[in-house]
Amino acid sequence: MAARFIRHILRNNSPNILLKRWSSTEKGVTVFDPFAITPKKDKKTYLEAVKMFEGRDTRRRGHVEFIYAALARMKEFGVEKDLEVYKALVEVLPKGKFIPTNIFQAEFMHYPKQQQCAVDLLEQMEDNKVMPDTEMEQMLLNIFGKRGIPLRKFWRMMYWMPKFRNLSPWYLPDELPNDVLELAKLAVARITSVDPVMKIDVWQTEEVEASLDKTWIVSAQSPIQKVLLSEQPPEDPLVVKGPFQVYLREQIVSYFLLLGKTRPEPKDETDVDDVSNLKKPPGIPGYMGTTKAVAVKSTVHEQDDGTIVAICATGTSSRDSLLSWIRLLEKYGNPVLTNIPVIFTLIAPPSDVSIQEIQPAIHKDAKNAESN
Amino acid sequence: MNVARKICIINQNNITRQVYRTFRLSSVKRESTQASQTQIQEEKFEFEDVKIYERAERRKAQISPFMKDVFLSVFNRDLLAFPEIINKEEFEDLERRLKFLDSMFNDREKTKEDRINALKSTKMFAAPVPLTRNGLAINKTEGLRYLETIANDLDLGQIISDHWIGLEALKAGLTEEQYAAVVDDLTTGIWRISGEKVCKHTSGYLLVLCAVEASRLKAFLVHPKVEGVSSDGKFVKFFNTPATPLDNVKESHLAQILGISRLHAATLCRCSLKNAIHTVVDYVKPRSMAGKPLSELSTIRAAIGDALLDLYASESAEYFTAGLIDGYMEPDAELEMAMCRNFMASHGLSSVLKLLSIPALDKELECKRQFDDMRHLASRGETLDSVNMFIALNGIHHAGKLMAQEIKQIRNPLFNPTFIIRKIFENRHQEKDAPKLTLYLAEHLHPTLKQPAEQLEYCVLRMKFACETLMARHGIHVSEAYTELERLAEAATEILVMTSVLSRASRAYCIGLRNAEVEMKLAACFVERTKDRVKKLILEIDDGEFLNLDHFRCNFGKKILDTNTVLVEKPTARTFW
Repeated sequence: MAARFIRHILRNNSPNILLKRWSSTEKGVTVFDPFAITPKKDKKTYLEAVKMFEGRDTRRRGHVEFIYAALARMKEFGVEKDLEVYKALVEVLPKGKFIPTNIFQAEFMHYPKQQQCAVDLLEQMEDNKVMPDTEMEQMLLNIFGKRGIPLRKFWRMMYWMPKFRNLSPWYLPDELPNDVLELAKLAVARITSVDPVMKIDVWQTEEVEASLDKTWIVSAQSPIQKVLLSEQPPEDPLVVKGPFQVYLREQIVSYFLLLGKTRPEPKDETDVDDVSNLKKPPGIPGYMGTTKAVAVKSTVHEQDDGTIVAICATGTSSRDSLLSWIRLLEKYGNPVLTNIPVIFTLIAPPSDVSIQEIQPAIHKDAKNAESN
Repeated sequence: MNVARKICIINQNNITRQVYRTFRLSSVKRESTQASQTQIQEEKFEFEDVKIYERAERRKAQISPFMKDVFLSVFNRDLLAFPEIINKEEFEDLERRLKFLDSMFNDREKTKEDRINALKSTKMFAAPVPLTRNGLAINKTEGLRYLETIANDLDLGQIISDHWIGLEALKAGLTEEQYAAVVDDLTTGIWRISGEKVCKHTSGYLLVLCAVEASRLKAFLVHPKVEGVSSDGKFVKFFNTPATPLDNVKESHLAQILGISRLHAATLCRCSLKNAIHTVVDYVKPRSMAGKPLSELSTIRAAIGDALLDLYASESAEYFTAGLIDGYMEPDAELEMAMCRNFMASHGLSSVLKLLSIPALDKELECKRQFDDMRHLASRGETLDSVNMFIALNGIHHAGKLMAQEIKQIRNPLFNPTFIIRKIFENRHQEKDAPKLTLYLAEHLHPTLKQPAEQLEYCVLRMKFACETLMARHGIHVSEAYTELERLAEAATEILVMTSVLSRASRAYCIGLRNAEVEMKLAACFVERTKDRVKKLILEIDDGEFLNLDHFRCNFGKKILDTNTVLVEKPTARTFW
């Protein structure tokens, strides 16, 4: 009996018993959800719904539940990155009522449920990388007072978020382009930023007569890579590898590599400690030295698994478009591709318009012609 | 040296690669105009007849290269006695010619024609040619004196400098017969026939430096009016041009001969600075400001004083170097010549800028022209950086040969524990930046110069430590540590200049030249000022790339080179509102 009693206590007095105060809203008021009935889901209707809630009841009953519901619906309306919307939600909370008036209130979390709600709102902003502004601070100050938890959360956010905001060395515009081609260009430019002389081209597969897949190709190849490609041994096949993925914020772009053989490491037998015969210039005034091209040895393009000689992203990521890419590379300054065999080793078969590998498109065309 | 670096293509013989540069000889063109001839006849200056004897060889035995040794903190104290090259007869002869040239070049009324005629009549175009070939067989010291006077007309100064160097190169490079055939044409031949010759820029003999067989360099002489030479602005183009190769001269020797152009460049720069000083004095003298003469303004006085220090220092270094070349057999003074050029080019440029800012508002055009002259001379043919690299790499090459064993030990400390402990003990003074003064340079100078002499000694003694630090840090890759080598080159340059300044002032004071006490003060001031610079440079070498900020500077540069933006956001940009 005693054991049962103790077990009962233990079960009910779990350590998070304090949190229980505001964790469950099951027995709370059932809130009328204005978002569910909105016909068009965009920022305007979202804000209208918020306004509607504000105007419905002067006491604003159930505002915490309303805010949680509104936060959950943000993605649906596509407004999760909009500061103005978050401000409108904060505006829902009544001013003055939640400000503690004595030290005990201040110390023991005055209106915990409401404070937690505001903190959750801020947390969602942070997750969506929305930077609050000073007006937001003023609003929180008016609602919770200077000792409120949301204020502290706000201040921490304002310390860290600007620091994280530009931490990535690859700059992206605030709004990513909606066009996939533009996105691919950004992605390829980011990958190829290791080589400042990289040249990025946009080609259309229409240029290749045999192509089936009519799409675009964003191809990047630097002059150094051209040289590396031209020096590939003709008997060893090149390999097209991919698709690999690169993230631009939430967007994913697939890209492919054209890999060649890595040259053997240059052997350097010189003793770095021996300074008895250092190089010295000839010393003829005005003589600058020979104008040889930059030595291409051990460039960034030569990696352990092979030499990356070109990189691309295509509109469909299909095998056919990659085949067109190889033909276009050959056409634009890499004649050596005529002689070198190319193998396609794609990790997962991409959602393909499906063309058998190496199956010449002309063959299919001929079939079509027959059937016609 | 030429006005522009010319890159041209020659497809002839075995010249396969680009031509990097041409050296223009002053060309010779026949033009006989009766009118000018009569005019000149009055001023004609007759000198002695063709000589039969060659100039006597008075040079001393070869010494080891002076500045290269300084990289090892080895100092040839004999050189603290300023070189005296010219004897009494030569001096008188020199003065006689100079007086005549001076009257021509300092007189603003004279035209270019008159000046060229004066040069011809004083055999200036044949100056470095042997006496037996109707030349003057001048040595470098005399050459500098002439050049200084001629450089009052900077154009002619540059032409004559190119001409002399071209002649020297020909003398070394051609066989006797070839030389004989060419030299008369260049110097006296035409003179005898028509009595007139005129210098022109675009045509005439050209000395062209080409790369042959991959990396070897060879000079070629292109005769006037041969096919395939065309000029386009400052560029001369060669196509299938026949040329005489200078086969007899090796690359290193050629480098030494052409290196003299650096010495001449220093002299020309110095003359340009001198002109700037005169301009400023002319401007300041009659003016006053706020009821006081402008000349009482201490900033103006200081600017002019600074310029004088540079002028004095450079002049000393040039004659010191010329003395090294003239005074000893088979001199190895290419480093010294390069240092003279770099000292004057860098200091002169900033000095002129400071000076010319005084009359800048009133005399804008004049100032612009003078500054442009200086800028042109300072960057003529090569940049400060490339010359600095030449100095540093040669010096460190020399030091490396002798310190190789030690460096190997320093770089492998665990294999040589006793050596390292001894080294730490030996270097304790150097680490504290207070080397023991063991060279006793003051003993070779006037006693008044004891303090500056000790300052020089400090600088010299620090050099070996700097070389050792650099080589121990980078090993064989020291030749790519450009930013640090640049400091080393600058420090060495200042040491050469300090040495020459001290020895000159000491000599002047000892033999009682006029204003010798001013020279003493100039020398003391210069050394005092420069020592701090050298000290800083070498401390920076010792500090390494993180403390002397090289690492960061290079990274900023790299980022900008990669992105071609200025990296930073505008000061009005914000991340939140």
